Amino acid sequence: MGLPEHLRPDPFGGIVEADRVTGAAPAHQIVLESGRAAYASCHLIAILPEGGAYGLEVQGFPAESGLQTDLYREWFHFLTASKRFYPDALVPVQSSYRSAMPEPDNRIPHQTAQAFWVDIWVPANTRPGTYKTTATLKAGGGAASIPITLRVIGATVPAEDAVAIDHNSYGTSWLADDYPSLRDRLGADFFASDEFFTLIHSYHRIFYENRGVFHQLGYGHAGKVGPEFAPRLEGSGKNKHIVDWTLFDRQYGPLFDGSAFATSRRGPKPIPFVYLPINPEWPASFLWWGEPGYEKEFVNVVSAMERHFREKGWTATRFEMFFNHKKRYKGFPWDGDEARFVRDYDYIREYARLLKLAVPADTPVKFVTRADVSWTMERQFKELAGIINFWVCGGGEFGWYDYAPRMLKERGDIVWIYGGTPAVTEPSSHITLQVLRPWMWGIDGFVHWQTTAPGADPWFQFEGGSEALVYPGDRFGIAAPIPSIRLKIQRNAVQDITLLNTYRKTQPIERLRAEAARHFNETTTKDWWTPKPAFASKDPLEWTNADEASPEDPRFGSTLDAAAWQRVRAYVLELAQEVK
Amino acid sequence: MSLRTILLLAAGPFLFAQSEDQAKQLDRVAQVATAMVDGDVCLRIQTPRSLQFLLKTDPRDPWLASDNYDVDDQAFIQTKKALMRLSRLCTEACDANLWMPVTSSPSQIQIMIRNVYEMSGFWKWGDLHQEMPPEMKRVLATGDRVTVRRGSRMISVLAPVYDSLGDIVALVEIVSQSKRDLRENVK
Repeated sequence: MGLPEHLRPDPFGGIVEADRVTGAAPAHQIVLESGRAAYASCHLIAILPEGGAYGLEVQGFPAESGLQTDLYREWFHFLTASKRFYPDALVPVQSSYRSAMPEPDNRIPHQTAQAFWVDIWVPANTRPGTYKTTATLKAGGGAASIPITLRVIGATVPAEDAVAIDHNSYGTSWLADDYPSLRDRLGADFFASDEFFTLIHSYHRIFYENRGVFHQLGYGHAGKVGPEFAPRLEGSGKNKHIVDWTLFDRQYGPLFDGSAFATSRRGPKPIPFVYLPINPEWPASFLWWGEPGYEKEFVNVVSAMERHFREKGWTATRFEMFFNHKKRYKGFPWDGDEARFVRDYDYIREYARLLKLAVPADTPVKFVTRADVSWTMERQFKELAGIINFWVCGGGEFGWYDYAPRMLKERGDIVWIYGGTPAVTEPSSHITLQVLRPWMWGIDGFVHWQTTAPGADPWFQFEGGSEALVYPGDRFGIAAPIPSIRLKIQRNAVQDITLLNTYRKTQPIERLRAEAARHFNETTTKDWWTPKPAFASKDPLEWTNADEASPEDPRFGSTLDAAAWQRVRAYVLELAQEVK
Repeated sequence: MSLRTILLLAAGPFLFAQSEDQAKQLDRVAQVATAMVDGDVCLRIQTPRSLQFLLKTDPRDPWLASDNYDVDDQAFIQTKKALMRLSRLCTEACDANLWMPVTSSPSQIQIMIRNVYEMSGFWKWGDLHQEMPPEMKRVLATGDRVTVRRGSRMISVLAPVYDSLGDIVALVEIVSQSKRDLRENVK
């Protein structure tokens, strides 16, 4: 049996509660449609009411098509809160796959159905046309097949995404916890091993392959910098200097020159963004703050970094001077992240001055100054114009300022919004809202603030995955992350919006946006903005998180159905047919 | 008895002596901290407005206290620099943290300034304030310096900080780890 990507199966032959829509049921055939340089996806379901041994085989497409099929077994996570099973982690398996029902390692009492995610990669040079294959389930001496039809259209999805979907993470200590097999094998050498750096690169790779960006913050709230996130320094004052690039270059070299992605279907490409290790305690010691030594240490070290990057040819990545610390964590006297107190802006101004001193005006290395803003973003847009050129804005508050995208984009700034990740218990389309919203607003991207923390036991006591879009593969003998259904659905939406965005060359962008909104949730483009609440006109020190913003429009939440993105996709494919 | 056990037993007295040396050194730094850290300045670190919010709770706003946390820059920086200088007296990596009792709730204490190695034998990551550990209570009540070992690796020495009236208004934690985790708290 088969299901389209947005209808997630349960382990008993049905569809998970969150995705149920009228008339939806597993089908006896699968029909997909895709542009080129893109993936098409669906679920295959092996249903065995009596249980027992089974095998699943997905035959390949004709070799000349270039189509490549990836098969994943869907892990059914047991949610402690709701006592239900939802599929999300995708375990790569070979076709043919042999196992037994109930799946031994998933340990689901009375399981009768095992789901598989099918990704079909359509290379850019695939000839448009209809391709067919079959999937065959063998069990109890019998066999049943399901036909899979893929119609490849002539449109090609551009390599550059219309919106950047960023996946944030913090440090690297969690890798030792998430990969106990690797850690135990390597012992004390874990963090210096090639395997460790390969593991980091594999996180970048999985997000890149799935049309996303990966960020790792490399320092703490009191300025501690992880060894692989910065060159090693020695000396003090005018003698402070870089003595060793080894760990930094092992981590970042393959990311900045793109070689870490050599095996990706998208091809090698430098990462587009990276956090610098700059913070109030690095490279200059806060001991010298306000004194000549602070400027000297900062400028000398950052100048040397610029030279190193330039000499290496690392000129495609944007190097972000970004301050993540908050004074509540007691390291420094000002908020770098989500500044609420206006006097804290002066620190940002000072760092912008120092950066300007450190970096030659004509450098080909792209340094940017990033701020993650919420409470006082409107004031910061004005007062820090020309200082901050990369804004990462709280998605809720940004929706109050419909004039902001144009104002910020006209001055050349990069603009993202940030937010959380929908838990698996939300309808499958909810993650696509975070793809569509920045495009609707005419900005550049969205940040999931945390994407690598699935919880202490995501397999049998799952908390929903609102801080994870990948899972550690260690449990399955894989020294790399494995993807999730939500990540794949998000990726497919990025493909669609990137293709849709190409039609702005021939049609007014406002019309494209209006149609996308109408198909998605029967809204108008205006509905995507929220009236600024009365409290937001007061001094931000007078508001609290408990202040009532405008009531949430249910079309963006409780009534947004699982099929929302499929309607947008249908619209995009319809446009592609008109344009060909 | 395995070879590993024999080696550990043989190394035991050496490791203990090393730990004792480390504790003595931290104690000397803590003694200097009592002399050098200005309690009157410490009392000016947290702003009066922020203090008003410190213990406030609102079920509709779990970040009410932390979103209103604020400090006086000058007092913070002056004290932090003093703590950073103190930590330079340690031969091994150490942090000098400042702790202050919550005057409106005597059972509570808050870390007020942390430093670059992000070490503490007492701070639970992210807590704005916390229950007063008995060792800290003793320091604040008696003026004694107290040495506290956390597990086999972390040693803290707590020392009182006085204001101009002679009252103990804060304490300094001088803390070191025998095997430092280079990646802990990088988040």
